[in-house]
Amino acid sequence: MQTSNGIDRLPASFRDPAGFLFLKNGVLYRQINRAYHQQYTRLLDSGLYRELVGAGLLVRHEESDQPPLEAEVAFKVIRPDRVPFVSYPYEWSFGQLKDAALVTLAIQKQAMKFGMILKDASAYNFQFSQGKPVLIDTLSFDLYEEGKPWDAYRQFCQHFLAPLALMAYRDVRLGQLSRVYLDGIPLDLTAELLPLLTRGNLGLLTHIHIHAAAQKRYAGKPVKRALRITSTALKGLVENLEKVISDLTWQPLGTEWGDYYDCTNYSDHSLENKKALVRKWTDNVRPDLVFDLGANTGMFSRESATSGALIISMDLDPAAVEQNYQAVKRKKEFNILPLLLDLTNPTPQLGWNLSERDSFHHRGPADLTLALALVHHLAISNNIPLPYFAEFLAGQCRWLIVEFVPKTDSQVQKLLASRKDIFSSYSQEGFESAFAGFFETIQAERPGDSDRTLYFMKRR
Amino acid sequence: MHLIPIPYLDPGSGSLILQVLIATLLGIGLAVRASWKRIKGYFGRKKSTQEEEDADQQRN
Repeated sequence: MQTSNGIDRLPASFRDPAGFLFLKNGVLYRQINRAYHQQYTRLLDSGLYRELVGAGLLVRHEESDQPPLEAEVAFKVIRPDRVPFVSYPYEWSFGQLKDAALVTLAIQKQAMKFGMILKDASAYNFQFSQGKPVLIDTLSFDLYEEGKPWDAYRQFCQHFLAPLALMAYRDVRLGQLSRVYLDGIPLDLTAELLPLLTRGNLGLLTHIHIHAAAQKRYAGKPVKRALRITSTALKGLVENLEKVISDLTWQPLGTEWGDYYDCTNYSDHSLENKKALVRKWTDNVRPDLVFDLGANTGMFSRESATSGALIISMDLDPAAVEQNYQAVKRKKEFNILPLLLDLTNPTPQLGWNLSERDSFHHRGPADLTLALALVHHLAISNNIPLPYFAEFLAGQCRWLIVEFVPKTDSQVQKLLASRKDIFSSYSQEGFESAFAGFFETIQAERPGDSDRTLYFMKRR
Repeated sequence: MHLIPIPYLDPGSGSLILQVLIATLLGIGLAVRASWKRIKGYFGRKKSTQEEEDADQQRN
């Protein structure tokens, strides 16, 4: 919602009566309403805030003297640290969603020790920062009253357990259902899609199958008396969910790109040259934000990352993204964020009024984009004309490192083997003239013994 | 048969009832485990005191 004085109320937080986010002169603020006064005070005074921020589980903030946007209901204005790049659960790999689920439960356990409880368990309350999921909604906590059930239990099952179980037991691609069901995958649908054998898994039997059946059985029937659970029982529930989530695994085997780097068309020497070019040109640009499109498991993201920039390392293969994420965790490469993205159908605007969740295009452009060994997949496998590809990239970046892979290349030959060659303009000249409309070529080099060419370009 | 239109069917009740059921069972499990530990701890301590006494006697 744009107001006349350069203030934007952000559309991602409008549902919460406790407060909302707004931008003023490019700075992000959160107004906390009087309705949330007690909870906020407890969060700070109990030491829970310090504990969670210290453990890197909750976003840090400072109290600000910025005037509130809606003064009549305001209690305070805070200025939270901004996450470097916003991403969504349908763009995360299995491991990323699993880690966010486990952090949710860790926060819940910690909160209970301080007399508080998570009032919601939305996967959208998490963002990746420093390689880890961090809770970005400071207003997620409520006062815990002994005996009160956990209001967010159903949301936790829908946002985390359901997609993880579907990915682990049915097909990893079902994670994309989160993009359709923004408030989590309905449990009856999950129960229907899961294989029968998951009924033999006690955790999934109760939290998914019986849960779905109970929802159906009691649908539309109000609960007449107040139901209570002791804090020990609640702790038991949270620990049980922790175990059920931990036990869900998915291994990226037999994948599209699994062993891709072993069969590229570069010798070791040329590969080193290509890496050196990527490093050199990245350093020339000195970017803050880099998009690596079609990053596979992130080999060249890692070269670009030596510049210190934040690299968003994107691929459409869930296995490649998972391997990339596991490597990021293992090597503590905090400036690489692997994400799942299909360039032929990138993340659109979603949610209420199509403005709750941002499209991929809204989150760019980057200072620099890498599009290596990508052009033939789009032009030949997906019939994207070269000028369209150039125009798309021009919308994504100021600087570009792009690779042209000619028809003579054996990888292109493989793609052409199963389709008629209708791509008469797919040539080095065709490529150069298509890009000349949008970019100025600064440098072009062949990294070695193959006939692929790397271009360093600047948007016109 | 009386049908309720889908927009009015809130899955909240079932989730709540199930949560209370599972949590209560898990809570009982936790409590039993905790008391079992206490019982084991009690006998464990008793046993070790006994051993100490035996050792003392041997020294004497």
